[in-house]
Amino acid sequence: MIILLRCAGLGLALVVALLFAVFVGDQGPWYFAWAVGTVMIILVAAAGAVLFDAQSAQHTAEEEF
Amino acid sequence: MDLINPTVVDLSRFQFALTALYHFMFVPLTLGLTFMLAAMETVYVVTGKQVYKEMALFWGKLFGINFALGVATGLTMEFEFGTNWSMYSRFFGDMFGTPLAIEGLMAFFMESTFVGLMFFGWDRLSKPAHLAITYLVALGSNLSALWILVANASMNMPNGAHFDPETLRMTFDSFVGVVFNPDAQAKFVHTSVAGYVAASLFVMGISAFYLLRGEHRAFAARSFRMAALFGIFSTVAVITLGDVLGRLDYEHQPTKIAAIEGLWHTSKPPYEPWIVAALPNDEKQESSFEIGVPFVLTPLITHSFNTPITGMIELEDAAAPRIASGIKAISALRRYEENHLAADLEEFHANQNDMGYGLLATRHAPNQDVTAIPPEQLQTVIDQTKPDILPNVFVTFWSFRFMVFLGVFFFVLFAMASYLSLKNQLERNPLFLKLCMWSIPLPILATEFGWITAEAGRQPWTVFDRLPTFMSASTHSVSYMVFSLAGFTVLYSIFIAVELYLMFKFARLGPEAHDQHDNADPVHLSVVAH
Repeated sequence: MIILLRCAGLGLALVVALLFAVFVGDQGPWYFAWAVGTVMIILVAAAGAVLFDAQSAQHTAEEEF
Repeated sequence: MDLINPTVVDLSRFQFALTALYHFMFVPLTLGLTFMLAAMETVYVVTGKQVYKEMALFWGKLFGINFALGVATGLTMEFEFGTNWSMYSRFFGDMFGTPLAIEGLMAFFMESTFVGLMFFGWDRLSKPAHLAITYLVALGSNLSALWILVANASMNMPNGAHFDPETLRMTFDSFVGVVFNPDAQAKFVHTSVAGYVAASLFVMGISAFYLLRGEHRAFAARSFRMAALFGIFSTVAVITLGDVLGRLDYEHQPTKIAAIEGLWHTSKPPYEPWIVAALPNDEKQESSFEIGVPFVLTPLITHSFNTPITGMIELEDAAAPRIASGIKAISALRRYEENHLAADLEEFHANQNDMGYGLLATRHAPNQDVTAIPPEQLQTVIDQTKPDILPNVFVTFWSFRFMVFLGVFFFVLFAMASYLSLKNQLERNPLFLKLCMWSIPLPILATEFGWITAEAGRQPWTVFDRLPTFMSASTHSVSYMVFSLAGFTVLYSIFIAVELYLMFKFARLGPEAHDQHDNADPVHLSVVAH
């Protein structure tokens, strides 16, 4: 049941996202670009931090080896 | 009717510029830091590493100082529209009031409520719930800026409104037209991502300070990495949206774009150079020297190779019939007010698009009344009014250039920072780290220059092509304006001093639990250091 509810919730979020993309993308392309671009910038910055940890862990492993 | 006192108008303009520029020292950092905090906390929630929580807490503390002072300096500005710009508020209040009211709701209800939860909810909320709150703070602060910029865009490109001859005010037609105004869209994204750049360099600069001193290195290296990547993408977005705004100005505000480019005469495509440096002389209407890069201006502004850009002298000449038509509109409107005859209303409607140009002629009319201009003086009044359609070219030209030069500098700086951070070579380049540290104030300066370009370039209008600035101010006395201006200068200078003191104090103290994390990465950081 919980899995079903989660799937329904995610499906609803997907529909809202699609409606947002269609309406805002049509009426306000730069607003849409801001929303997508900001998410992308956050993800890139977060990926950079995770990469830092991975580089650090790899370096430690190489030293130990 | 009270005669317009130009000294009061100038003092009102100076006071608004001063309060807006002071306020705008705090805004960009708020816009950008919130999303950076969200990025740091996202990594904390995903990886569970304590150092990212420390990062969110520390940078959040600096954000809090900046946020409080930003709110304090912004409050007065909303009242200034009523106190110092009552004529403008009466004429444009319907249009301006709506987004401003929504901005108040966003800033004080959404943003402020979630800021409280963000600061005090760390031990009371689950990790995902707190992360959602942080994202809502970021969204709230940026949406707050959105409504201010929607209001500002209405002044630059009035959309979704019309002038009502019965009430003598601009009347709201379409909410969608106002919100989705192309100028509002481009201006919001440009300003918002300029805030991301300011926040990135702020985090990068302070992190560079720690790396130079060898303190809090695990914390600082991660912060620097995230800020560098955040900054490089944001800078590209700022430059892209700057181009969009230039294109919109070319289409809708030709006097602004001509002043920005120092273009006295219509361009000759495709050779026309983009002027890198010049000394524009507003009185002589020429530039005494120019250094330019040929073949750049036409594609840069028009996105084509053969479209000419109208120069300021030609724009002045083109304004002459609009001034005459505007005077007719005002005369017809005055007669309609008195007699309510359909013929007068019809004549007004035929000329109403030029009404603003008629208002612009007020300063040169006998007793500041354009309906009292004798026919034999009409051409003289038109000739005297023509140069008034141009903004201050020197200010607009150079504020734009300083902004652009700084934008290019940020691109290079963030590109180098990203490269060196990804290669883990930061601490081998102390000079570069010093450059990052000393560059902290530059994005704030760039946004101030951007604001000056936008607002000085809109002159002589408060509402472009509709309402001249000199007719927008309240009828205060000069002494009242001088007194309130002095008060604002002292108060806001104290705010700046408090901000700088607190920022320096807490930045020097650094994150609280740094030692544990430095010990957690000993090998990696020792390699980084040598």
